Amino acid sequence: MNEEKEVEEQPKPLILQKLEEHHADALLSQDEIRGTIVVVLRKEQAYAVLEYLKTDPELAYTFLVDVTAVDNSQMESELMQFDYARFMVVYQLYSYQGQCRVRVKVPVHENDLNIPSVTGLWRGANWLERETYDMFGINFDGHPDLRRILMPDDFEGHPLQKDYPLRGRGERESFNFDKQNV
Amino acid sequence: MGLAKTDTQSAQDVGQTDGNIITTTIDRVINWGRKNSLWPMPFGTACCAIEMMATLASKFDLSRFGSEAIRFSPRQSDLLIVSGRISIKMMPVLKRIYDQMPDPKWVISMGACASCGGVFDTYTLIQGVDQFIPVDVYIPGCPPRPEDLIDAVLQVQQKIASGASPKGVEHLLET
Ligand code: SF4
Repeated sequence: MNEEKEVEEQPKPLILQKLEEHHADALLSQDEIRGTIVVVLRKEQAYAVLEYLKTDPELAYTFLVDVTAVDNSQMESELMQFDYARFMVVYQLYSYQGQCRVRVKVPVHENDLNIPSVTGLWRGANWLERETYDMFGINFDGHPDLRRILMPDDFEGHPLQKDYPLRGRGERESFNFDKQNV
Repeated sequence: MGLAKTDTQSAQDVGQTDGNIITTTIDRVINWGRKNSLWPMPFGTACCAIEMMATLASKFDLSRFGSEAIRFSPRQSDLLIVSGRISIKMMPVLKRIYDQMPDPKWVISMGACASCGGVFDTYTLIQGVDQFIPVDVYIPGCPPRPEDLIDAVLQVQQKIASGASPKGVEHLLET
């Protein structure tokens, strides 16, 4: 009994309090998974909220750990939750000041793969967004240099999309091994 | 000449007469020298390279077999050790490095990935580097132990001592 009470009495994490106060309309969901706070944001407000998370003096999520994406096209439960948005762009942030992490997810629909680039907030986002573009085909608006980073420049398709065949579309055979700039 | 005394294997190769005179052929002397001072060019792209480093470190000590002079310039090496996964984007780099090595040159394909793609039968991975460069010795394993790499080096040495051509020039000799 006592234990249950203690759990209930835990105060809401500061970040959730502040987000509810200042950006309630941007929040699609909030959750805590294995000790990490996960918030899902509306795409339209995502940039503004990320900027808020970074610049707010109390939160100060100054370190962008990772940018990646998930293709949920074969995860019916996930799809239903967020209006059948196929992709989920994921930002992992860390605050040195509060020594805590937050995972920010933004649903992206297949018919509009554009999302604002956060390179203006964290310069380290540059290559991370290039990788996400390369692997998933997400277009980061305002990115200074949105080229492929892992696959060869003339590669077609985005191999981490779930409908991309594991063994590829014959790239291993058709790849031009002589014309590459080495 | 102390040749026969310092290298017992070569003792069978040379005709020995009384006193200090031995007879042999130029080729055998040259191959004896080549075999005992292989200069490897490491091409480590994945986890197998960790085992390759262990092979070179003091515990396994590849210098016992005269192959510790690792060169990161292909121009100065005659043994290419491919250890790790090679993607389609990396293959032209590997080919260029192989081409830049002076003849005669030997190639060891270390591990399942370099030899056949390993578990990575995927859109971007070369299913065996021998499709593009000639391989003399394959090492199975994921990863192979340092002893396996040492064994492969010894096999290359045997191949050199026997006077066999590297895989890379065999096709030239046929025509
Ligand atoms: S064979 Fe195994 S250890 Fe070697 S590169 Fe491949 S996965 Fe890594």
